[in-house]
Amino acid sequence: MTDQNIIEISGVEKRFGTFTAVKDLNLTLKEGEFFSLLGPSGCGKTTALRMIAGFQDHDAGTIRIAGQDMAHIPANKRPANMVFQSYAIFPHLNVGDNVAFGLRKLGLSKAEMKDRVAEALEMVELGGLQARKADELSGGQRQRVALARALVMRPKVLLLDEPLSALDKNLREAMQLEMRRLQQKLGITFVMVTHDQYEAMTMSDRIGVMFAGKLEQVDRPEVLYARPCNRRVASFIGGMNFLDARVTGDNGSTVDVNVQGFGPLTIDVNPNALSRSPDLLAGIRPEQLEIGAERPEGYDACLQGIVSDIAFYGESVHYYVRTDGMEDPVSVAVPNYFHTVDHKRGDQVWLGVQNASVIDLGAREA
Amino acid sequence: MSTPASDQLNKPMASSLSKPMRKPFRFPWLLAYAIGYLIFLYLPVLLLPLFSFNDGTIVAFPMKGFTLKWYAQLGEQDTLLQAMMNSLIVGAVTALVATSLGLFAARAYVRYRFKGRELSEGLVMLPLVIPGIIVASSMLVLFISLGLRPSLTTVILGHVFVALPFAVSIMKSAFDDFDQSLEEAAFDLGESVIGTFRRVTLPIVAPGIVASLLVTFTVSFDEFVLAFFLSGNQPTLPVYIWSQIRFPAKLPNTLALGSLLLLASVLLLLTAEYFRRRSTKST
Repeated sequence: MTDQNIIEISGVEKRFGTFTAVKDLNLTLKEGEFFSLLGPSGCGKTTALRMIAGFQDHDAGTIRIAGQDMAHIPANKRPANMVFQSYAIFPHLNVGDNVAFGLRKLGLSKAEMKDRVAEALEMVELGGLQARKADELSGGQRQRVALARALVMRPKVLLLDEPLSALDKNLREAMQLEMRRLQQKLGITFVMVTHDQYEAMTMSDRIGVMFAGKLEQVDRPEVLYARPCNRRVASFIGGMNFLDARVTGDNGSTVDVNVQGFGPLTIDVNPNALSRSPDLLAGIRPEQLEIGAERPEGYDACLQGIVSDIAFYGESVHYYVRTDGMEDPVSVAVPNYFHTVDHKRGDQVWLGVQNASVIDLGAREA
Repeated sequence: MSTPASDQLNKPMASSLSKPMRKPFRFPWLLAYAIGYLIFLYLPVLLLPLFSFNDGTIVAFPMKGFTLKWYAQLGEQDTLLQAMMNSLIVGAVTALVATSLGLFAARAYVRYRFKGRELSEGLVMLPLVIPGIIVASSMLVLFISLGLRPSLTTVILGHVFVALPFAVSIMKSAFDDFDQSLEEAAFDLGESVIGTFRRVTLPIVAPGIVASLLVTFTVSFDEFVLAFFLSGNQPTLPVYIWSQIRFPAKLPNTLALGSLLLLASVLLLLTAEYFRRRSTKST
């Protein structure tokens, strides 16, 4: 990644009739960055991607790629190429001709074209498959051909629309790592749209989380996980217990709060939180809670409750603990190795939490 | 080719297989009906080729003997060959015009959501249900009032009108399974709008285009009413055949010609169906 800005989007808006698909989008991407737009379906992330690609005009604002204003520049003249969700492999052409499709317009010699096709196929580990017919490809191979066909153009920006959603789980996970490696090797900026939080977190340098047309937070995956800006972002990335809290004292970078169920705690002020209020929303990740039959030692606050449900996830076990005065049960994730404590439904348990595990999510009504 | 009749034949047989094998014999009414229906439908058509080999001018049993002379005489009849030529020209031009129009119309109907789409689609399909005689007479009045003399041109205009619904529906099925992102991908890879159409859209819908060309050609080639009203002194083949049928001596020639046309039509439609199926499978 360099310090050079490659995509600069400011104040971009897109309306379809009375529906605003993308509201006031501001985003700056660095050259060589792997960026993901994450959000539920219909949040406007694909529309945003298609505006960068040039398949959709924007109604307001500016989009610049490599310093150049993209208004009035059609998709076929932009230094960006796209990998489609359906892969859009041309069914009447073989693999080699699919990959060479865009090269025909560049005025290369036959030998140069052949070399670049071979190089691109090598890159996606499909070397030598030039003659393979489009309908003889597996799902994973189609994805690779689509990738090679876009990368062979040597774009400044590669746009990926849910590139892995059509693959089964194992293949998807292998491709996540492979695409990340490829991106780092080539140093091309990747912009990926996905609704899969794990995909976004494992692959991206930074993630932008979108809801209802608005980009709510842009951050590195670790920051997004540790310091989400509000309830929506927090609940879309990982699991989260939401608890009401009341600010009782302000110490500058930390606040004293009284957290529902747990009582007094002193937590860090979240610089990302979008709003402030004495009525705070506190978040606790399920894996940051301790659970035990006895009151756990060395925790900043504890809570007693009854196990209402148990879910087995393989690598972890989730306990749902009900306490008086709380509507939703608190969920606790316990890693499943040397896991000897085995609570049953209806058991009395204690939960323990540290100050550092409680996240300030800003005003409760946000 | 799947005709309504063969569907009726297949369904009851398929469902009877899934039932227990041992059951009391019942007269297969449905099967009998289906077979009777097929005989009624196709027997007269089969008589046509049969009598075209009959060594006699009267179409009646018993037949007199086998001959190929009615076929041999066809080549010597100049007016017949001229009529055949007229039909080929009208059919070819009609097929080209109707298929081109159908191609663009179908792409728009499948791809875009616009005001009046359903209305315009309905209007395009209307010729399928308007009686030919009404279309023919009103077109004749229209063309004459516009100063167009009845000729092959007016026949072509009429035939495009009746062939268009066929072209549109065949092309629509070709576009139905066509992933829109294929065109976007081509455009994204630097190709122009026209280049995208030529390098991606056309090759992918090509089987549909061939099917549409063949079907619209056949529609035009077989059409009688419009051609009768609009052809003036340039008869197409069906109009010519109709004029010859009044002369008993010419009847065997007409039968021979009709048999050849029947064979050609069936072959054309089978080819068209082959391409239509390929077009829906390819994407």
